[in-house]
Amino acid sequence: MQDMNLTGLFIDLMSRLGLNYEFLATGYEAQVWRDGFITTLYLVAITIPVSLVFGLIFAACLTSGRLWLSAPVRGFVELTRNTPTLVQLMFSFLVLNTVVSNMVGGAQNNPLSPFFWVVAVVGLHVAALHAEAIRGGIEAVPSSMIEAARGMGFSQFEILRYVQIPLAFRSSLPAIVNGLISLVKSTTVGNAIAVSEITYASIMVWTQRDNVVEMMIVLLAFFSLINFVVARIGQWVERRLAIPGYGL
Amino acid sequence: MMTASPATDAAIVKLEDVHLSFGQTQVLKGIDLTINKGDAVSIIGPSGSGKSTILRCINALVTPQSGKITVAGTRVDQLTKESERIQLRKRVGIVFQQYNLFPHLTVLDNIVLAPTRILGADKTATVKLARELLEKVRLSEKADAYPGQLSGGQQQRVAIARALAMKPELVLFDEVTSALDPETVGEVLWVIRDLIRDGMTSILVTHEMRFAEEISDTVVFTENGRIVDHGSPQQIFHSTENPRIRQFVGGLSGGGRGAVRDGEGI
Repeated sequence: MQDMNLTGLFIDLMSRLGLNYEFLATGYEAQVWRDGFITTLYLVAITIPVSLVFGLIFAACLTSGRLWLSAPVRGFVELTRNTPTLVQLMFSFLVLNTVVSNMVGGAQNNPLSPFFWVVAVVGLHVAALHAEAIRGGIEAVPSSMIEAARGMGFSQFEILRYVQIPLAFRSSLPAIVNGLISLVKSTTVGNAIAVSEITYASIMVWTQRDNVVEMMIVLLAFFSLINFVVARIGQWVERRLAIPGYGL
Repeated sequence: MMTASPATDAAIVKLEDVHLSFGQTQVLKGIDLTINKGDAVSIIGPSGSGKSTILRCINALVTPQSGKITVAGTRVDQLTKESERIQLRKRVGIVFQQYNLFPHLTVLDNIVLAPTRILGADKTATVKLARELLEKVRLSEKADAYPGQLSGGQQQRVAIARALAMKPELVLFDEVTSALDPETVGEVLWVIRDLIRDGMTSILVTHEMRFAEEISDTVVFTENGRIVDHGSPQQIFHSTENPRIRQFVGGLSGGGRGAVRDGEGI
């Protein structure tokens, strides 16, 4: 009851300011809206690591010097960088997903949800951006340092792992954080294929309640808050990884 | 001592008629060189004469087009796989002009990384060894510093400690003092001198003539991809008949640089 009273108080207060948050008192709409927040947070929390892992793998392929690794990744990076995420998502969901459904004998057997496709498309799209940033960092490691590591018996992979990636990650961190901030915003494309993240949920509410401004205020504040946190974590990591006496 | 006769069992490095080109450029035009275990050999000569390339051949960082290279029982020229070359490099230390310490690791971690990660050595024992080596190069107090916080001479001494931590059978020094200011050259030479006195097989490409004269068992003079002459420091620096060598060593060792550096090195 305590909760209801607080909600009632909030609705009352807001309505005096001319803002309509009456849907909060309902069961269904309020539930959809709350779930929207949680879905968006899940999307962000899962897509960020996906983008980082694939960004690293893509960058490793691009700089491997092996054509059979670098050429397909280069093609994918170009394709995903130069086409709209929304179009990629629709293509993935309407075409690739249908192909998968046909292969497994019907949509009821298809384990891939719209949520999965948002994570895959947005995650790989941002991974392509990360890959370019990390590739730049890998290629910036002086060849003399690589020769020194080779001279000590490091394999190409060990040089990548112990020397190039630690240095490249530091130098590309500002670009990576930019990519992650863009990723957080890009999760909203999910609403195009009915993933009930926060924009989808907000649209559901405002089409019923005609309270676009009220929903927008919360929506914008919510994304601002997430990205504020992402940027602060980025700064913290940058400070933690700063190398004393080194220009990165 | 280096000999013109066929390699004895004591030979740790043997190059026979080694030819190497980069594209159209012939860098080595038939190098014959035998180095015995425990020897200190200096390779001197003008820039571009192939000195550094000889070291890279010994360490399998470059592969010659023809010729035989035997290092510690391994026929280096016959290695076809990168994994085989890696096995060789683990046994042959090399220190470069530019130090090339890993800037994101502390001094201690720079030394410990390769033995533990590449050789799979025990971490505790390696840290102990690293601290001993740091003491040897007189940098114990810098164990937790980062390379960017050290002077060039200090970084180069760490690089030497890093090479020694791999317990190499021989160490190659590629112009290790050329990037240093005159005041710090001495501290690096001091470390190398110590190492040679301890019996480490060492091959140095150097422009420090006084130092080469002092520590070498053999001095090799190269020019245009060939070994022009070799012999004891006395022979090369003082009693050679070869006018080119006389001109070269006269021009370098007679000046102030070598003398000043040597004085500081003690």
